[in-house]
Amino acid sequence: MRGADYVIKRTIFAVVTVFVALTINFIIFRAAPGSAVSNLARVPGATHALRAELEHEFGLDKPKLQQYFIYLGQLAHGNLGVSFASQQPVSHELLQALGNTIPMVLLGTLFAIGFGTFTGILAAYRRGTAVDKASVSTGLFFYSLPTQWLGLMLLLIFAGTLPSGGRVDAFLFNPTPLQHILDVLKHMLLPSLTLGLVLYGEYTLITRSAMLETLGEDYILTARAKGLSDRRIVTRHAFRNAMLPITTLIALSLGYIVAGSILIERVFSWPGIGQAVYYSVQNRDYPMLQGAFLLLTLSVVFFNYVADLLYFKLDPRIRE
Amino acid sequence: MTSPLLAVQDLEVWFDLPHGDTLHAVRRVSFSVERGERFGLVGESGCGKTTTILALMGLLPPTATVSGRVLLEGEDILEDGETSVRPHRWTDISMIFQGAMNALNPVQTVGAQIVEAMELHGIAEGADAKSQAGQLLEMVGIAPDRLDRYPHEFSGGMRQRAAIAMALACEPKVLLADEPTTALDVMVQAQILLLLERLSQELGLTVILVTHDLPVVAEVCGRAAVMYGGEIAEVGPVDTLYHDSRHPYTRLLFAAVPDPTGEEEVVSIPGAPPRLDRPIVGCPFQPRCDRAFEPCPTEQPRLIALGADHQAACHLNDPAFRAVS
Repeated sequence: MRGADYVIKRTIFAVVTVFVALTINFIIFRAAPGSAVSNLARVPGATHALRAELEHEFGLDKPKLQQYFIYLGQLAHGNLGVSFASQQPVSHELLQALGNTIPMVLLGTLFAIGFGTFTGILAAYRRGTAVDKASVSTGLFFYSLPTQWLGLMLLLIFAGTLPSGGRVDAFLFNPTPLQHILDVLKHMLLPSLTLGLVLYGEYTLITRSAMLETLGEDYILTARAKGLSDRRIVTRHAFRNAMLPITTLIALSLGYIVAGSILIERVFSWPGIGQAVYYSVQNRDYPMLQGAFLLLTLSVVFFNYVADLLYFKLDPRIRE
Repeated sequence: MTSPLLAVQDLEVWFDLPHGDTLHAVRRVSFSVERGERFGLVGESGCGKTTTILALMGLLPPTATVSGRVLLEGEDILEDGETSVRPHRWTDISMIFQGAMNALNPVQTVGAQIVEAMELHGIAEGADAKSQAGQLLEMVGIAPDRLDRYPHEFSGGMRQRAAIAMALACEPKVLLADEPTTALDVMVQAQILLLLERLSQELGLTVILVTHDLPVVAEVCGRAAVMYGGEIAEVGPVDTLYHDSRHPYTRLLFAAVPDPTGEEEVVSIPGAPPRLDRPIVGCPFQPRCDRAFEPCPTEQPRLIALGADHQAACHLNDPAFRAVS
């Protein structure tokens, strides 16, 4: 069947992409200038013996090809190595950071999807009216704002009423689960809003243009001639077709959950993946970086894969 | 005396253009069609024929201003705009479009789109609607098991057939066909035209066929209106229009049809249609007319009855002017 063909093709494509990314990921860190060991030794004039000792300990004295296979082998067992900075397993550190990042980014993204799609549809439907103009200019405004600047401005405005940074209140002792959740939510609000507003601009503009395009199609005229109400034309005929480009956008922005939030996490000191990447760069923490890059690759490939499968469901023409 | 099935009276359409200009696309168009009749609306691109039939169903964009009356069995369906016209859409008047390439929604099955119309207007529901949709497909020559297929799985001709089946879903009285064969190849064109003719005869369906293709009209329609510059130039039985045309435009239009034997040279009408975004003084066809005389540049011709069912808007037919010339 064609459907199975498509799914198999997409799956193979995704797996190959991950594999290529893994390999590039391995090469980048071997090709990067500077030695991993120089920072590890933490002594500016470390002796050759010490360096050699460290290189041996981390297996860096082995041939590159052998290192590559060891790397793949360890990955297969879920071992991402040990962080130079914290001496903790990278997988453990990354999972913790990811656990902090996902709810924050998800909240902002869902806000953007819901609100942005809604105003985008409304603007397209009421094209040329005040509603349309207001929606487009608001969308353009937020879309063109630098994320970190918007974050800082929100911080300036709301810092008194909402926490200005971090994920939990350090002075909240032995909170009940409910108290803890509310506390985290309160901290999450500003970074999520920052992300959500910038994404909102993108969503509303893209939804509007996708909707305008489909509303101009002949089948919309047919639908009107059939006597359908405007609401039904918009939901059943126009939006259903406009969803195709929107799905791509959703997949792309979800894929960048991991990486897209470095600026926001810095501004709001949110202990997520972005923050972890930032510190790892500063500390030349190669295993952490390598792990974070891997995670980023996986999430981008995964969400693209999901988008491909959704497309298959949404667009019968792909099933050809 | 019974009123005609559909009567269009003094239909006018203006479009707002950017920079505050207006385009007077349809001017004083009146015609009427009877039950079971096949009526042609012929003219060059941009003469207002498509605008006219979109206006009939209230389907023009918000930039359009429409005046005049569209009487369906005596009832003015445009009287209260959207509210008065929507109940008549598809149940009384349905429509098919050019080539049907994009007239069907690409992400819904053909069956679902036919059933949607039936359910919306309370004709049938669920399995019943689906079996009726299957019968409709059969009627237009498509196997009923194709209901669950998507439009892209159909050829151009099949799509147009499916669009016709969909247009018949609520047993309308009038079918508006806007250049239904334009994007199709010649063999398929002929099949679609035969199908329309057959359906009109079998179902007593009134068909208004909009086309720039005179032979198509001659083939399918009994009566036709020739439009020029947003106005009706001449209206009457197709035979009369061909053999006894009383408007130079109709005559030149028939002369411009290529002769299949290739013996006669194709004649074209020199010049271009008038700009509709400016006021037209006198006869719109006058600058291109080979028989223009004194009154044409200044006096606007009105439709004059020339027989029981034949009218033309040309000063040549006006005794008042003929005496002068």
